[in-house]
Amino acid sequence: MAGKEFKQRIHRALNNASLRGALGRFADSYIVSREQVYAGRDFESLRQRIAAIKADAAGRYEELAERFTRAVEARGGKVFRAHDAAAAREYIYQVAKEHGVTDIVKSKSFASEEIHLNEFLQERGINPHETDLAEWILQLMPGERPSHMVMPAIHLPKEEVARVFSRYLGQPVEPDIKNLVRIARRELRKKFLTAGMGISGANIAVAETGTIVICTNEGNARLATTVPPVHVAIVGYEKLVPELKDIVPILEALPRSGTAQPITSYVTMITGPVPAWRDDSEGIKELHVVLLDNGRTRMAADPVFKEALQCIRCASCTNVCPVFQLVSGQVYGYIYNGGIGSILTAFFNSLEDAAEPQSLCIGCRRCAEVCPAKINIPDLVLKLRERVVTKQGLSSGYRIALHGVVARPKLMHTLLRAAARLQGPVTHGRPLIRHLPIFFSSLTEGRSLPAIARAPLRDRVKDLERPLSRPRLRAAFYSGCVIDFVYPEIGEAVYKVLGREGVQVVFPQEQACCGAPAAYAGDRETAVKLAKQNIAALEGTGAGVIVTACPTCAVALKKDFPELLTGDPAWEARARIVAAKVKDFTELVHELTRDRQGSSGQPLKESGRALKVTYHDSCHFKRHLGLDRVAREVLNGQPGLELVEMQESDRCCGFGGSYSIKYPEISRPILERKLKNIAASGAELVAVDCPGCVLQLRGGLDQMGSAVQVKHTAEILAIED
Amino acid sequence: MNQNDLIAFFTRQAEAMGAQVIPVDGAGGIGPKLVEVLRPFGQRVALVESSMCREAGLEASLTAAGFHIEKDGAGFARQADTGIVEFDYGIAETGTLAMDATGLKARLATMLPLTCVALVRAERVRANLTEVIDAYLERGNWPGYFTLVTGPSRTADIERSLTIGVHGPERLLIILVGNNGGDCHGR
Ligand code: SF4
Ligand code: SF4
Repeated sequence: MAGKEFKQRIHRALNNASLRGALGRFADSYIVSREQVYAGRDFESLRQRIAAIKADAAGRYEELAERFTRAVEARGGKVFRAHDAAAAREYIYQVAKEHGVTDIVKSKSFASEEIHLNEFLQERGINPHETDLAEWILQLMPGERPSHMVMPAIHLPKEEVARVFSRYLGQPVEPDIKNLVRIARRELRKKFLTAGMGISGANIAVAETGTIVICTNEGNARLATTVPPVHVAIVGYEKLVPELKDIVPILEALPRSGTAQPITSYVTMITGPVPAWRDDSEGIKELHVVLLDNGRTRMAADPVFKEALQCIRCASCTNVCPVFQLVSGQVYGYIYNGGIGSILTAFFNSLEDAAEPQSLCIGCRRCAEVCPAKINIPDLVLKLRERVVTKQGLSSGYRIALHGVVARPKLMHTLLRAAARLQGPVTHGRPLIRHLPIFFSSLTEGRSLPAIARAPLRDRVKDLERPLSRPRLRAAFYSGCVIDFVYPEIGEAVYKVLGREGVQVVFPQEQACCGAPAAYAGDRETAVKLAKQNIAALEGTGAGVIVTACPTCAVALKKDFPELLTGDPAWEARARIVAAKVKDFTELVHELTRDRQGSSGQPLKESGRALKVTYHDSCHFKRHLGLDRVAREVLNGQPGLELVEMQESDRCCGFGGSYSIKYPEISRPILERKLKNIAASGAELVAVDCPGCVLQLRGGLDQMGSAVQVKHTAEILAIED
Repeated sequence: MNQNDLIAFFTRQAEAMGAQVIPVDGAGGIGPKLVEVLRPFGQRVALVESSMCREAGLEASLTAAGFHIEKDGAGFARQADTGIVEFDYGIAETGTLAMDATGLKARLATMLPLTCVALVRAERVRANLTEVIDAYLERGNWPGYFTLVTGPSRTADIERSLTIGVHGPERLLIILVGNNGGDCHGR
């Protein structure tokens, strides 16, 4: 997948200090101001309403488009249904030609960028002028890519803008922002007053009334739709909503999520042609609405990806995305950015064009938390990845690792045991991994072997499984590979703590990798195979509860297995029965110790002082399993600990499994930020509920030479008091 | 909320969004107030006729004070320093003004000059957008060009630094006209 050109783009972005600085500062302040602007509002119910409106609309675009068309025509406007980009371009060009238009003023429109309208018109002797300030600046800088969907020129310092303007004007320009804005006003005003046509996009299109709704802060859409005698609005089908009242929740969320404003300065709703100055007298404007399909109805017919049409283009998903923040829209390319952008690109452009952008998602799920259209972006990205793999195949390294090894548990376990014996010289006998390994990394990228435990958990359990006389509960432990082969001591701690609580734990020897590495690489075939093997292994134990201590495994067992096996008559029901029994270790401890919680801050007996612990929220643990509070309650109930919160405790650590191998240059800065927050917390110990995070954080802290320790919650609870 | 609370809320929100709210007791107070506040911003005023303008005798009082009033013509509002337009409603929740701006002059006068004066009757302040939409729907045909205005024209496109007056007005003065002699029906 990640081709050379793409990797170069990543490196350029990562090395562009002003880009990274601007995006980073924005992202930090955005999180705070977004909170403020939503304060006192029920965001959850708001986004449910939006999702419902847009999902319903996506189910009946044809009907809505017809209704919209009738309403616009009844008012005297024209609607053109453009099947694809070429049809839209050609129609707009013909309208311009008919009116002898030489200059066009444009307000911001993704759709117009999507169809490459500007280049097309320019080649035919018509000058389109972008009037949104940022878009205009970029238009004056051929070759420059937009860095953000809502603020495309956020990366340009004022000095750069001044240089661009002075080139345009042929005279020196002071790099003073007020002055730059004034110049833009003056120059673009001339265009507004002389252009023969205005082109706009739309944020919403109302079928009931034939109304298009446009939000701007600058007022350029108001001018572009008021002054010139012809107005062309380019509107994607996904902008359609049935009724006027449907715009209210969208208008409530769009500016709040987009720029943390309660409302944009201007909200313009145009219904049919209105008076305009034509030639020498007041007449009626000509209104053309181009309803753009370009992949949208195909998307609406796709049961999986239809959801992405709910998007209202607020860009908040990219504002919170730890990857986007580092690389910006310049890397994603193709107009639409971030996780959602890769999905839209797959349909509006092609699956091939989406292959690289989608691979940037680390799966941290932050975007899904804030999306005002309630789109499950990370899950859709995974589905997209599957389709990319189905079409393009796995890269050869992945294929060997996944099909050849991970999908054959016996072989993989044999190889891991062999690796454990061979690795001595490589790891200098230290059970610490310095270079973020995942098992098959050595097989794919030629990296050093990971430090694999001398005896995996599966070989140690015989000694751990002491029968309890009257167990409270029988549980099967599903360890997952990292605990089994790298951190068996976490597994031992699980046995110890649960044993103390009266739980009889068994280890099904037939268990294999949960398949997450395959699923996250888009290899559904291997994921299905492993799901079946694990279900069979776990059924055999007859245990009432299946305990995991790895949230990624838990999600695989609970959510992915039933989904992978849906429609398979022999397996679907079995998958659901297994899924229903899965419980995270910390969650189980919480349930078993409910009556003893809340005794925090008691000093340890020997040292007489509480140990300062900070909690790192693993992405899947918090955002899939929703156990962030539970974990803190459990830790608070542990004597001898003082829990201190770090900043951004729920920001990704940058591991993401094989992501850290595929994109080390992105994973590393994400980790660095985490390490900074850990250090600033003043904690001596980091508690975490995911062995992948343990691996990533230990590796990072070790490299820094930090004395801060990282432990799985199970290990902390296992400390004898 | 009663109407007075709504008005107070509207005022707070509108000012938070960068508008300046100037309450006057009744239509009669508008002329003298405008003469006073508009003086520093230039003499050329684009005035859009409305019931409030007539009631207030705006044209006469501004002309008498030496302002140059334009009400029509091909270049309407293009060179004006100030545009004066009556809005239909205020929306308390966001400090927003709402108007049926189907008439061309209303759009030009609110957007082209650097200063925009928005006249709005205090009893026409509503709680939220839904109420305002309902009010228009009750009136009948949905307007051809409906507009919501909140604060001055703004941009943060360069270094995210908030700058006003990019394409539209850099100054939004809301003259909130009290009940004294106005239309009390609220719609
Ligand atoms: S996916 Fe959601 S958060 Fe992202 S731009 Fe669309 S609506 Fe906004
Ligand atoms: S899941 Fe995380 S990495 Fe992926 S798009 Fe969403 S925020 Fe970005």
